[in-house]
Amino acid sequence: MIRLEHVDKRYGNGHMALSGVDLVIRRGEFVFIVGPSGSGKSSLIRLLYREELPTTGDVYIDQFHLTRMRRSQVPRLRRQLGVVFQDVKLLPQRSVAQNVAFAMEVVGASSRDIAKRVPAVLELVGLARRRESFPHQLSGGEQQRLGIARALVNNPVYLIADEPTGNLDPDTAGEIMRLFLEINRRGATVIMATHARDLVNQVQRRVVAIEQGRIVRDELKGAYGHEA
Amino acid sequence: MKPKILWYFGRETGYGLWRNGWMTLASVSTVAISLFVLAFFIVLSVNLNHVAGVLESEVEVRVFIHQHVPRTSEIRLMNEAKHWPDIRHITFFTKTQAARQLQSEFPDQKDLLQLIDQSNPLFDGYDVYTRQATQIPQVANHFRSKKIVESVVYEGLVAKRIDRVTEVVRAVGWGIEALLALATLSIISNTIRLAVFARRREIGVMKLVGATDWFIRWPFVMEGMVLGLVGAVAADVLVNYGYRWAIGAAVSAMPFWPVAPLSMVLDHTIWVTIATGLVIGALGSLVAVRRFLRV
Ligand SMILES: Nc1ncnc2c1ncn2[C@@H]1O[C@H](COP(=O)(O)OP(=O)(O)O)[C@@H](O)[C@H]1O
Ligand SMILES: [Mg+2]
Repeated sequence: MIRLEHVDKRYGNGHMALSGVDLVIRRGEFVFIVGPSGSGKSSLIRLLYREELPTTGDVYIDQFHLTRMRRSQVPRLRRQLGVVFQDVKLLPQRSVAQNVAFAMEVVGASSRDIAKRVPAVLELVGLARRRESFPHQLSGGEQQRLGIARALVNNPVYLIADEPTGNLDPDTAGEIMRLFLEINRRGATVIMATHARDLVNQVQRRVVAIEQGRIVRDELKGAYGHEA
Repeated sequence: MKPKILWYFGRETGYGLWRNGWMTLASVSTVAISLFVLAFFIVLSVNLNHVAGVLESEVEVRVFIHQHVPRTSEIRLMNEAKHWPDIRHITFFTKTQAARQLQSEFPDQKDLLQLIDQSNPLFDGYDVYTRQATQIPQVANHFRSKKIVESVVYEGLVAKRIDRVTEVVRAVGWGIEALLALATLSIISNTIRLAVFARRREIGVMKLVGATDWFIRWPFVMEGMVLGLVGAVAADVLVNYGYRWAIGAAVSAMPFWPVAPLSMVLDHTIWVTIATGLVIGALGSLVAVRRFLRV
């Protein structure tokens, strides 16, 4: 379970990106974080994988108390999460397969597991045939899918994605949305920041709307009754 | 560690060193020079110890006994002295033996030899060796306080001077070495920092997907240690050839000077330089990586 209590986030320049945020997300949910550009979606997401800490308030994820935990424990938290970053953060000098494999190397997986798991994940996101390519040889949609593959490869409990359909054409965006629904159906909790209204309306899942750093709407429409 | 992880670390290390060719060369040279200076001081101090050791093995204290003291008293004092803690070795000589030694040392002094033959004016006595040169005066006084002792002669001053010089050389060596160690630490640290900087994006992503700090540090620490090790080996090669040359020069200039043999010198320098190189390399890398781990 993810829980934010009275969270404020003020950046060094004094800008108030989040104020008074209270939010609970249960295991297995599919949650959209929506809102216009600059409303604070990314700020909220960054709190979840502890790239940022709130200025005041608390963040809990399962047994982790993010605002109180020791630095040395952070890797354990992050291994529970798969994150698709807004800027994807692919490693340009590594091939598609290596970009995925290195996320497994980092957590000490055996080479046998890596050899088995990486092709399976690339298959799932539809990049099986681009295995040897490098990120700059991929289209925007393919880069996004590579980012998703890397987030998925360690079987995270929570899949957190920041505008994964950002600059994609509607068809590609729809494909990626189906991918997330499939992942959610297989058991992962999905939290997706987006401002793609059409897609959100199509799939009828829980929607948390943010404006100017405040939660203005939290609709559980379709929260139960799993089905894509 | 699992072989997979070792392979990972090894690959990252080699890659990093190769990519920063010139910086790698510069830091290996700095390490080598600094460790060479360290080795130079070790060589000096090994040699001084060697000289002091050679001198110490000459007789240090000579104790002479009054005429007409019975042989049993002479032997009793020697046996007692054997148990004094400062004494390494003691031997007894009779005045006949003393005369024979004199004869062999000065075979041309006919008058002297005749005198000795007629009525031997020499004394019985002991040759005494102490454990350390500094203990000589104490031992001498101890013998002087014995009734049967006529006089005590010692020439331990040279050995003592050398011990003093060795101390000074060591102190100066440590001072210079501390400065050089700082310089070496900083160049290794800068070299590694370049390598870290080149990979800061990657490090950031690694941390975000759950890498521990040590997982990220290891390749860089190994990189630093490889720099230190290669520098140390280069320094040892220099010492090896340099010292061979120095021995050659010393032997022709001062044939009687007791030069420490090459193997004795290398026994000391190799381990010190390698250990120092590894430690400085590891420390330099740890310093370099620290700042980039705050993600
Ligand atoms: N690191 C930062 N430092 C200062 N201000 C920031 C930083 N990140 C975001 N902001 C500001 O906080 C507000 C919310 O940004 P963000 O969370 O990125 O919104 P969104 O993802 O919804 O577009 C924006 O006004 C943005 O300029
Ligand atoms: Mg954003």
